[in-house]
Amino acid sequence: MKFIKNHLMFILPLMAILLGVEFYLVFDRTTNSYEKTLTEGYTMLVVTKKPVKLGSFQSLNKHIITSKQIERSNIISEVAKGMSESNSKAVLAALPYFYNLGLDSFLHTSELAKIKKDLESNANVKRVETFGSSYNSSYRLFAFIKLILKIFIVFMAVVSLFLIIKQMEIWKYAHKERMQVMEIFGAPLMLRSGVLFRVAFVDAIFATIFVSAIFFYIKFYWAAQSGIDLLVENQEVLFKTEDIAILFVSAVVIVIVAVYSVVFSNKGVQE
Amino acid sequence: MSNVIQASQLTLAYDNGEKEIIRNASFNIKKGEFVFITGPSGSGKSTLLKALYGQLKPTNGSLVVGGNDLANIRRSKLQELRTHMGIIFQDYKLVNEWTVEKNVVLPLMIAGYSNEIQETQARRLLKHVKLSEHANKYPLELSGGEQQRVGVARALSKNPVVILADEPTGNLDDYSSNVIWDLMENACQQLDTTVLVVTHKIPTIFSLPYRHFIIESKGVYEVH
Repeated sequence: MKFIKNHLMFILPLMAILLGVEFYLVFDRTTNSYEKTLTEGYTMLVVTKKPVKLGSFQSLNKHIITSKQIERSNIISEVAKGMSESNSKAVLAALPYFYNLGLDSFLHTSELAKIKKDLESNANVKRVETFGSSYNSSYRLFAFIKLILKIFIVFMAVVSLFLIIKQMEIWKYAHKERMQVMEIFGAPLMLRSGVLFRVAFVDAIFATIFVSAIFFYIKFYWAAQSGIDLLVENQEVLFKTEDIAILFVSAVVIVIVAVYSVVFSNKGVQE
Repeated sequence: MSNVIQASQLTLAYDNGEKEIIRNASFNIKKGEFVFITGPSGSGKSTLLKALYGQLKPTNGSLVVGGNDLANIRRSKLQELRTHMGIIFQDYKLVNEWTVEKNVVLPLMIAGYSNEIQETQARRLLKHVKLSEHANKYPLELSGGEQQRVGVARALSKNPVVILADEPTGNLDDYSSNVIWDLMENACQQLDTTVLVVTHKIPTIFSLPYRHFIIESKGVYEVH
């Protein structure tokens, strides 16, 4: 019972940190995909006096990656209904050029304002419409969710780290006597701490397996049945095979830091 | 004969030199000598022993053991030096979660000897200390005298160059005390091991020639 308790006291906080790491990875991938959708769906409208090529827009701001001219004949067909041909030709001649500009990423509204300013600095540009208010509300909601989740993950990691340090204190006292005796008889560091490393590595493997199992369950069973569009659409990125390696490496790094903190706090020589 | 231990103007202190225990002590101990160090309680006997196995650095002067200056020794060199020492403690310092056999072979394990050699040596030593039948028991299942015999077997397991013993028979019955003195005498006589014993009382029956140092008023003096 004591044996299981000792292991769980290390495995559980380690799992909490690994869950944080995996949540971060999954969240990052899911939001990247959502961000891409938002970016693809967003364009700003630019009105120019003369025709402008994409390269000219890009020379004004590097975030612009596409430009699509709105057919002037389509606009005329709506505006010049009932007009004579000569009048509609005159309207067409007076009509400026309209472009939908696509951006490379989901930018902050301040970046949008800068793009607008950059475009308006060109004398050929008559007007720029960024549709800032609808974009702003999407962006703020998205940024808020992202921030809350990151805070939660960091908080979870900090609390778990404290629990691990607490468990290390217990390990320190449990192994102090043996490590001191071994040191007196000349055992090198790796031999003295061998048992600790073995125990901690086994715990790291278990923690990685448990966390991977949780995310496998979420990916293959829970996500499909949840009815949450974002999860259903991004089911593929919820957990990837390479995540197991990331989790294991993270666990091993934590284990090495934890064990060395115990080993080095058991120094023997007095001065 | 060469000196195994050389102390010159040695000063030992705790609390960063504030609490002085031994001051300006000078003495030499040669290979194969049996040495008793006596003195009243708190005189610094155990402190001197600690310094000899590198657990306490000299505050002043020099202390050379096996050609190594313990005032300036590197950690890796100290580790190596300790593998040539057999150390016996009054409170045994056995690893309670290990069996008697595993405790005995600790120095061999550290030196990287094979399991087969470890087992053979453990059997031989446990027979010498009359604990063969306790090989698979744990230290806390043994009496104090038996635990100290395990400690002596551990100290002898790698045929050390020096044995340092801190009150090895302090709380023991006559039987265990006699076994321990016999073992240390044999090691000194047959293997030319230098034995340095800190004790408050020299045993009345002791067959080997020995040197006797006394620690008094922070000084270390040889008794002739």
